[in-house]
Amino acid sequence: MTIPVSETLDNGLRVVVEPQPWNPGLSFTILVPVGATSDPENRLGAASMLETWLWKGAGPRGAHAFADALDALGVRRQSGAGVEYTTFSASLLPEGFSAVLELYADLLMQPQLPDNAFDSVRALALQELAAIEDQPPQKLLMRLRREAFSSPHGQPVQGVRETLEAMTPEALREEFDNRYGARGSVLAVAGGVDPDDVIRLARKHFGSWGGETPEAPEVRLTSPHEFRIVQDTEQVQLGLFYKDVPPGHYDFYASRLAAAVLSGGMSSRLFTELREKRGLVYTVSAIPGSVKGFGYLTAYAGTKPDSAEETLDMLLGEIERLSQGVSREELDRARIGVRAELVLSGESSRARAAALARDVFILDRARSLEDVEAEVVDVTLDRINMFLEGRPFKDPWIGTLGPGEVVK
Amino acid sequence: MSMLTFKEATLPNGLRVIAEINPEAKSVALGYFVRTGSRDELAGEEGISHFLEHMVFKGTERRSAWDVNREFDEMGAKYNAFTNEELTVFYGAVLPEFAPRLLGLFSDLMNPAFAEDEFETERKIILEEIALYRDRPQFVLSEKAQAAYFEKHPLAKPVLGTAESIANMTREQLIDYHSRRYVPENMTLAFAGNLYWEEMLALAEQMTRRWRNGQAPRNHPSFTPRPRKIYEPYDKASQSYGVFMAPGYSASAVERYAARVLSEILGDPDNGRLFWVLVDSGLAEMVTAYHHEFEELGVYTVYVQGDPANNAEVSGRIVEELERLEQDGVEEEELERAKLKIATSLVFAGETSLSRLFYLGLNYSYSGRYEALDTVQRWVMHLETFHVNELLENKPFSHALEYWLVPAENA
Repeated sequence: MTIPVSETLDNGLRVVVEPQPWNPGLSFTILVPVGATSDPENRLGAASMLETWLWKGAGPRGAHAFADALDALGVRRQSGAGVEYTTFSASLLPEGFSAVLELYADLLMQPQLPDNAFDSVRALALQELAAIEDQPPQKLLMRLRREAFSSPHGQPVQGVRETLEAMTPEALREEFDNRYGARGSVLAVAGGVDPDDVIRLARKHFGSWGGETPEAPEVRLTSPHEFRIVQDTEQVQLGLFYKDVPPGHYDFYASRLAAAVLSGGMSSRLFTELREKRGLVYTVSAIPGSVKGFGYLTAYAGTKPDSAEETLDMLLGEIERLSQGVSREELDRARIGVRAELVLSGESSRARAAALARDVFILDRARSLEDVEAEVVDVTLDRINMFLEGRPFKDPWIGTLGPGEVVK
Repeated sequence: MSMLTFKEATLPNGLRVIAEINPEAKSVALGYFVRTGSRDELAGEEGISHFLEHMVFKGTERRSAWDVNREFDEMGAKYNAFTNEELTVFYGAVLPEFAPRLLGLFSDLMNPAFAEDEFETERKIILEEIALYRDRPQFVLSEKAQAAYFEKHPLAKPVLGTAESIANMTREQLIDYHSRRYVPENMTLAFAGNLYWEEMLALAEQMTRRWRNGQAPRNHPSFTPRPRKIYEPYDKASQSYGVFMAPGYSASAVERYAARVLSEILGDPDNGRLFWVLVDSGLAEMVTAYHHEFEELGVYTVYVQGDPANNAEVSGRIVEELERLEQDGVEEEELERAKLKIATSLVFAGETSLSRLFYLGLNYSYSGRYEALDTVQRWVMHLETFHVNELLENKPFSHALEYWLVPAENA
């Protein structure tokens, strides 16, 4: 049993470590709560542009030298801004850990944010925005989020053309100064490391990081409604958004397991009814999501125009039918599926670092895999069916994307 | 890591069974690697390998399609299958106690029932899958470019087939293809993770005893790439998508490690040469390069996407970089960085049993030998600049096909 070790530094940075003694490598995720939710309305896309700009030089190094320094330590890295936060993840061998943390401290505490890179950062942002037009499912699901939330949770991570074009280096620097900081941020580490070493190194490299990060805004929703995007695609995209219970809620795992009955494995209801029996779709899913303090369920299907109406009716019907409860066999399959997924994720340092960082952000505490498993095992048939009887999944927001008037 | 052992055996029916055993792993991954894919399809069979991959999950003599889906889920299996030009792979990962049951299930699936109603439903699903990819310009480009690059060579064929070929496919064609290609000699059963070898081997022997052996030959016609540049309008693209394809090395060629490092130097998404020229400058949204290895040949591929307004400049800059690479070769420092980065990724590729299974099974399917991740790492770390520069002497990129899919109004 591996228990994550947590420590909050004096500056408010939360550090969490899950040792994996068998692992020759390590991964970490630095989560900074800077995302679309804290982008001002006239600066949509700022968090995303900032993330790109940060890599254009930090501390004493220019962009190229900075990338070379990380490469010389063999670091594999990903980073990106999302709805609520920006993450910086890295996988490396333990001997380079201190040097790599020092580089990331430069990145977050002393970025150069050079004027001469600003135009290319903006050009990149505009292209990322434009590329969404060529990804119909993503386009629909982004819009669905925008339609459902009236709070900033609906704001597009990529921004909009007007705000990107109006952005200035001064404005973006101001966003950095206002929003990047230690308090509220998380450093999560998993792999072949000693927690005491990690905490010592975190203090050494990030101890002098000051600043506050934005508070998570309150979630507000619009009234459930339908919308349509007309686009000349081969397949019609269908998206549904349902309110769900928030993370940390007593029924959170009952709800997760209900989603697994709906869409977990290939014996799940949506897969069986829409794909296996009727051949309506190649892809169908109902995926639970959450932001701080709020949970939701997003259902998605893609199908050709002549079967769009039947597919939408089936989707709505199957989700509605959940209120009649699930069978013992369905619950058992959902539970073993979720448990196996947990155990398998424990093999990967990258997956664990990301999950720990998110836990600390969403719940203010890091859970071991065993803690999560215990919560899943705790959900009995009575409990899940009592939860479903309360009809948690109803009155969805409904969006379609496709050619012409295909769905009534 | 030091606890890894490799086992291999050939069953009397010709099926090869291999395992990389790691007693510290929390899971077991296993899979059937069938040496068959789109390149083995005859005229009128376009897409049949992939269609068959779907039908494998649709029931057997003993199991209905529903039984199959239910049983996988009862084990909490993480499982799937994929088909490419040369291989069809069925794989899954489970907690160790379910490994025998997973093996039993997959082994039964290798002889599908081909039920008529399931076949018709699956045809509709595959037509939806084809429609889905029509909406993704990146995919459309890769299929078109591959067809253009390989021309009359069998690697030109589309893995999914076409809407027409799938609409006309018959159940009898599938049965015939299955009996030609799914023969034990043409398959490898691979395991990775925490398992008992003797138990698994005995089970595999018992479950595949009645499989009929046979020969599944494959053609390797000669191939010479024809360099040219193609612009094609696509009405569903709002951005531009481009690839460069140039001759590389096969999946068993010793040069493949150097070719992978060369691709990393060129196309690493954070620090490759092309990143600095195209993405750092804001000319393109993204650029990558990789080395794709097939049975008798390989292909360097450079992929780029971005603003159509920059097409000409992006194309020109890539050509310039490729020429510079061929003329001046690679530098020691960038080689060292690329080597270390690949070596580190291999450590992380070794974390999960499923990822180990892919390395094990794919490599063995091509070479017939076990190659530990540590061994790959050593090969990579021993490379010197002359190994990489040697590959550039043939000027591979001077033989490149350049293919662009652009918004209709930019053609």
